[in-house]
Amino acid sequence: MDATPSLREPSQRVSSRARQMWTLEAVVQAAIPTLGLVALAGPVDAFDLPWWAWLLWAVVLAAYVAVVPSWRYLVHRWEVTDTAVYTQTGWWVRERRIAPMSRIQTVDHVEGAIARLFGLATVTATTASAAGALEISGLDKDVARRLVDDLTVKADAVEGDAT
Amino acid sequence: MTDAGQSELARDAEWQRLDPRMLLVHPIRELLRYLPVIVVVVLGSTAAGGEQWQLIGVGIPVALGLLRYLTTSFRVDAGRIELRRGLLNRHVLSTPVDRVRTVDLTSSPIHRLLGLTKVRIGTGTASTNDEDRIDLDGLPLDRARALRAELLQTSTADDLAVPEAADIDVVTFDPAWLWFAPLTGSGVVIGAAALGALTQLLQTVGFFERFDATQVDVPGTSPVVLVPLLVLGVLLVVSLLSVGGYAVTNWGFRLTRNRAAATWHLTRGLLTTRETTLDDDRVAGVSLSEPLGLRLARGARLSAIVTGLSKSQPGSSALVPPAPRRIVEEVAREVLDTAAPVDAVLLGHGPRAARRRWARALLPALVVAVACVVAVGLGAPSWLLLGVLALPVAALLARDRIGSLGHALVVGHLVSRSGSVVRRRRIIEVDHVIGWNLRATWFQRRSGLTTLVATTAGGSQAVPVLDVPEDEAVRVAQQALPDLLAQFTG
Repeated sequence: MDATPSLREPSQRVSSRARQMWTLEAVVQAAIPTLGLVALAGPVDAFDLPWWAWLLWAVVLAAYVAVVPSWRYLVHRWEVTDTAVYTQTGWWVRERRIAPMSRIQTVDHVEGAIARLFGLATVTATTASAAGALEISGLDKDVARRLVDDLTVKADAVEGDAT
Repeated sequence: MTDAGQSELARDAEWQRLDPRMLLVHPIRELLRYLPVIVVVVLGSTAAGGEQWQLIGVGIPVALGLLRYLTTSFRVDAGRIELRRGLLNRHVLSTPVDRVRTVDLTSSPIHRLLGLTKVRIGTGTASTNDEDRIDLDGLPLDRARALRAELLQTSTADDLAVPEAADIDVVTFDPAWLWFAPLTGSGVVIGAAALGALTQLLQTVGFFERFDATQVDVPGTSPVVLVPLLVLGVLLVVSLLSVGGYAVTNWGFRLTRNRAAATWHLTRGLLTTRETTLDDDRVAGVSLSEPLGLRLARGARLSAIVTGLSKSQPGSSALVPPAPRRIVEEVAREVLDTAAPVDAVLLGHGPRAARRRWARALLPALVVAVACVVAVGLGAPSWLLLGVLALPVAALLARDRIGSLGHALVVGHLVSRSGSVVRRRRIIEVDHVIGWNLRATWFQRRSGLTTLVATTAGGSQAVPVLDVPEDEAVRVAQQALPDLLAQFTG
């Protein structure tokens, strides 16, 4: 073994449609506070913002919508072996989670409203620790289905109550 | 489960009620709860001259108590504990005996007077709803103890153990510990809360409207003397209150161990006594915490990381209240069954982690200091210059936090220490680690650091090792659970 082993990235990428899903999510996230702000400054007339504040606001949100989904896509990866699950998520904060298959308690398959537009799904494997759930979002729906079946079979094959 | 469970569990196999003496406890408690209503009813009816109303006012709470007694029953049968209660909404709770993690006996002063106790059976449920708790309120003390012994006997793996082994004292209460009460955060909070309640009371009776500071004329004093005196007085009162709070909770504290049954047993309380029993197999580790004040006085406190018990039930996992550090460490060694993780010299996290601590402490302080100076320059009152003091305070904090950082992996235990205002040394058995999280922000990645988190099913659910160099994090995780990480390194 190498003297200083380093952890490699998980092998699998999520679906490339995830980038579009995250873009749409980012647009929605950006639109809600903007609408609120416009309503307050316009019809309600609660305050007046100078033009440069609007510009700054627009630039920040545009950058968020343009950059973050791609960044997220570069980070999000996953891998399942016979004995472990390994995920990598986040963008600014990168979080790698590794859990032994013997500690997996439940496997969830969720298709959110936006995810369904793109035929995507999220798979979550929970452990007995509230801090240890492994979530893989932006998976192709069929890949997610197979993953759930795979995880269920593998986790079931191990004895014990997983605590 | 043939011989061991013969006596108590066999007797409990039939549906049965709680102790009839609870008929005394319930009405008293209901009376206390409805006291304001009853006072109103009694006063109102004497004014109106009606005798019956008074009877109803007293009768309803008593009837409620009686009803509760009659509708509550429990049994322990076929490896399950079942609790049945409620008249209109029938509520049946059922749980397997081998899921029992803790058994708490709590006796309020009324209970103690009658020789009763309330049994709370902890199964590690995540539910916070009171209805979902298994509380057997009102069993005779010796019967409750027998039930406890057998419930925990069944839930531990080694059924061959002899239940009649002696309890060995690990640590007992020393009144000198009371000195530590004002030095803990919670002690001060309790004291301050009591003081707050007092001022609230004074406010409602209109003390502050009648009290006029300018009319207070103590001969020979000026504000320069009066203000420090007042501060000193408040400190004294808060300290006394926190000592009182400490005494009420921890008086008579005693931690014993039963090696044969593999349990830990904790008794404490001045008025309401509380007995907690922990199953040794479920003790994943300990957390030794030293709030700043306590640390300066060479004190500490200890809690256990218990599998299945989350942070929301902290009372059940406290092992030693604030006490001298020497004693706390002694108990930690005993609980872990090994001295090494407690005494091990920790490996520091290196210059990059130190630089990060400096940056994180000094940058916000610098912002505050500059803002204060600028504000004074623009004509704000000059006392704002005190804001510059944020810098040296932040520097001290950063230095202390760097000194605290450290980790080690010794004899199958992961040890991690961090923090300054509350410094914690967390020790967890590697067998109880159920996964690893490696968390790194962009800044951390740039300086090659990561926060390694060992997840576990007890306590705060995670043991973080803050800002370790990345290769060291991988080395520790791999050494702890070799088979897990090997497939992902390369």
